[in-house]
Amino acid sequence: VAAAQVVGKPHTRLDGPLKVSGRAKYSYDIKRPGLLYGRILRSPHPHARVVSIDLGPAQKAPGVKAALAIVEPGKAVMYQGDEVAAVAAATEEQANDALRLIAVTYDVLPHIATEALALRPDAPPVFEGGNIKQGNTDETGDLDAGFKAAAHIIEATYDTQVQTHVCLETHGCVCEWEGDKLTAWVSTQAVHGTREGFAESLQIPQANVRVICEYMGGGFGSKFGPDVQGVVCAKLAKAAAAPVTLMLDRKEEHLASGNRPSSAAKIRAGVAADGTLTAFDAETWGTGGAGVGAGFPLPYIYVFPNRRRRHRDVYTNAGPARAMRAPGHPQGCFTTETLMDELADRVRMDPLAFRLKNLPPDAPNRMWRKYFPIAAERIGWSRRHPTGDSTPGPIKRGMGCAANQWGGGGRGTKAHVEILPDGGVVVRCGTQDIGTGTRTIVAMVAAETLGVPYEAIKPEIGDSLYPFSGGSGGSTTSASVTPAIRVTAGKALDALALRVAPKLGVEPAALVASGGRIAVKGNESKGLSWKEACRLLGTEPVSVDGEWEAGLSASGTSGVQFAEVAVDVETGITRVERVVCVQDCGLIIDPMTAESQVNGGIVMGVNWALFEHRILDRNTGQMVNPNMEWYLLAGMSDVPKIEVVLMNQPERGVIGLGEPPTISTAAAIANAVANAIGVRIRSLPLTPDRILTALAEQRAGGTL
Amino acid sequence: VKPFAYIDASNEGEAVAALVPERGHVLPLAGGMDLLALMKDYIAQPERLVNVKRLDATISVPDQGVIRIGAATRLADLAAHEAIGRMYPALRHAAIDVGTPQIRNVGTVGGNIMQRPRCWYFRNEEFNCLKKGGARCFAVDGENQYHAIFGESPCHIVHPSSLAVPVIAYGGRFRVVGPDGEREIEADKFFQMPDRNMYGETALEPNELLTHVILPRPVNVKAAHYEVKFKQSHDWPIAMASVVLTMNGASVQSARVVLGAVAPVPWRVPAAEAVLAGKTIDANVAAQAAEAAVQNARPMSRNGYKVQVARVALQRAIMAAVA
Repeated sequence: VAAAQVVGKPHTRLDGPLKVSGRAKYSYDIKRPGLLYGRILRSPHPHARVVSIDLGPAQKAPGVKAALAIVEPGKAVMYQGDEVAAVAAATEEQANDALRLIAVTYDVLPHIATEALALRPDAPPVFEGGNIKQGNTDETGDLDAGFKAAAHIIEATYDTQVQTHVCLETHGCVCEWEGDKLTAWVSTQAVHGTREGFAESLQIPQANVRVICEYMGGGFGSKFGPDVQGVVCAKLAKAAAAPVTLMLDRKEEHLASGNRPSSAAKIRAGVAADGTLTAFDAETWGTGGAGVGAGFPLPYIYVFPNRRRRHRDVYTNAGPARAMRAPGHPQGCFTTETLMDELADRVRMDPLAFRLKNLPPDAPNRMWRKYFPIAAERIGWSRRHPTGDSTPGPIKRGMGCAANQWGGGGRGTKAHVEILPDGGVVVRCGTQDIGTGTRTIVAMVAAETLGVPYEAIKPEIGDSLYPFSGGSGGSTTSASVTPAIRVTAGKALDALALRVAPKLGVEPAALVASGGRIAVKGNESKGLSWKEACRLLGTEPVSVDGEWEAGLSASGTSGVQFAEVAVDVETGITRVERVVCVQDCGLIIDPMTAESQVNGGIVMGVNWALFEHRILDRNTGQMVNPNMEWYLLAGMSDVPKIEVVLMNQPERGVIGLGEPPTISTAAAIANAVANAIGVRIRSLPLTPDRILTALAEQRAGGTL
Repeated sequence: VKPFAYIDASNEGEAVAALVPERGHVLPLAGGMDLLALMKDYIAQPERLVNVKRLDATISVPDQGVIRIGAATRLADLAAHEAIGRMYPALRHAAIDVGTPQIRNVGTVGGNIMQRPRCWYFRNEEFNCLKKGGARCFAVDGENQYHAIFGESPCHIVHPSSLAVPVIAYGGRFRVVGPDGEREIEADKFFQMPDRNMYGETALEPNELLTHVILPRPVNVKAAHYEVKFKQSHDWPIAMASVVLTMNGASVQSARVVLGAVAPVPWRVPAAEAVLAGKTIDANVAAQAAEAAVQNARPMSRNGYKVQVARVALQRAIMAAVA
């Protein structure tokens, strides 16, 4: 696309004005005639057997139109927030009040609130097959030889906290039946997958389900199906013979809609006197809550020739983990990159030089050797002082860096393009815009192909009636959707050219579409305006189907991030002042929405580094901060200055960008904090408590 | 939300007439920033709300005598008030630091003083804590990183009002009306420890209404307020401090020092006041006073860092007062 007119140039979101003016309708905004409000009763206990559920009093409560049990008596609930029963009522308040009238008898069972408790030999056996699932051991090279070759050996434990997705739009949907046909407006990352999910759970034909998601407020990996609340919503709507909206509240969202698992790594690592990594031996664990694993890649990116890693998944009675923006990678990155800085300190090497020494060779999907110096130059790495800012006064500044890698890439997607006789263009694709700008790049690619402005394209997405596209996960949407649009719009243009060519007295292949005209290649003055050309269609629009083809996309991205922080060593408060990101994603379709993806990823990374922490009461296993008050999230004043350098790789095709920008932020921040204060904190989040405690220990003669 | 009746009071008499002596049954509603959340979370379940937004929302600054701030004054109006900013910089600072612009545009002075604790055990229905009639404080052996470091009370909340901290430091009083007429209570005596009053945090009876904050005119006074917050946007302070110094030339004649977010009530620290009295303030004196202030801190298992944060908040408030 060397002579691209649209692709690669910054375009504002087509639906931006709709969103900021409130005209864009999210699932939350869908109001159907006679709409009822559904709410779910959830277990207050982290582990209990449900003895009985009496819906009677709730069914008689004012406004209640339907009530149902979700869990069968005799079955166990495995975490606080596990679904028990549900009601639908005329108002949300009536539904909430009615829930409290449902009489549930629980047989409260022993629970496990923390990883530490689960690992104790006397922990109560809570999970079938054990509280701990021993994972594989990965081993490469000769560990003993590696440690023998080491001039320095570090032994340390690194850990990270559970983070919840905190989608601004909570999970949920509106369900409406017409006979045996279900229409569901769902906040989802996968309209087609969610249709399948409804059909399977409700035992109805897929053909009877339509899922619509025109706009949605974030998913980050947690919204791929109808979920319990979707199925319950459909059942309540059926039972009440009325449309039902069932959107979770913030508390439910924290408790039961997914999270990023915790991680812990007890590591022994060796480095030779010249700074070459020699050995890496890690025991790792983490919890994904009730019955879900907590894997993460380790070591991350850097070459340890001799290494071993043994992993265990630890189960706790807490809300189960789900895929969350670059699953596992931030944990692996934080663990490895903080270790890298510590090893660099031991051999008294600059962390950047140390990384360059131990990175694998560059390749199109791993360009760190090129990107690290670019980012270092941009942030002013030469200003970086050795560990510990000696500037007088309480504010200490520091810099840190970290690398990332991700897959992305495309897969089967179908599309439909119509060119209408009045010149209008409709592009339909059953993908969805989870906030990344998919609608905008669909229009851009069609506009590029047809030679018209992107505002002239009407993209229609977010409906399972449209041609199939997969879920928006794994940073695959752009690389899946844009080739399908490119191919299908190209076929549509070919069809239009068949009608235009005779008029111009040339072969169809001699025509090009550009600048709002269809003209003869090499003799551009000979041609028709787009509108004139389309008028030749008469009454029959061009209407073509097409699909994703290989060759327009690839997979494998790399990037680096640098952070500069200011830490008040008297209060323990860290402020992230600046983050510089150098990141590729193949061919960049829209630099503006791409940069916006990076900004969002970095804000999420700042949050994980400093603020976000699902805190369960250690004794009761109940979450103490299921809100946005004590579950801390950055506000505008907490967001650093973000500088994004996008590395275009047009020759590789489209790859995808949603996940990689969040991977390295926390690691870079943690390294910057250590550089600022001269003490290493090996746990996230970097709270004032941890920073003051570490500084106090250092003053008391601790290590480092 | 439990259904409730709503009474729109147009004056103090109507408002007080609608209140009842039993706690929790009838509650005054001003900005609703705190109360509506408590109701949605089923922590408060009043049968009746009395709208008091139409009561006195003015700030009166006469040429002589005390300054009166109507309890219905919005925080944003307090923060923007020229004379308040000039005469009571510590109060203005505390007002500006409350919540977010949205909260300050709706929340009131009276609501800020009367708001219930933010303790997460109190706010989550699952935990039947002492304040809700339960048998134990979950913070004692639980997640107490934001809890009290002073007070050794059975309940370990910290008082959430940031306005209360400078109001006490300035020697303010609260005007209260009830069925038997009006009374004034020294702000310093208004807040009550949980061992005295488990189900409320103040001397206000359920059938009384806080109507005004009354502040003495500052004469030869230097003052400042300092808050340490983790987030710079919308966060509760880890600790805060207000300092009001009555000056005698370059030296301090007398001092009033109050810490916030460290105890179940705004925590006045006479030990720090004694250190400051008679001194010319420098960094050393400020550090001594701050050290004296936290001398008797009794942190819990996970909030030891708050002692340091409180110390620094006070030290910085003292230095800011004389800057």
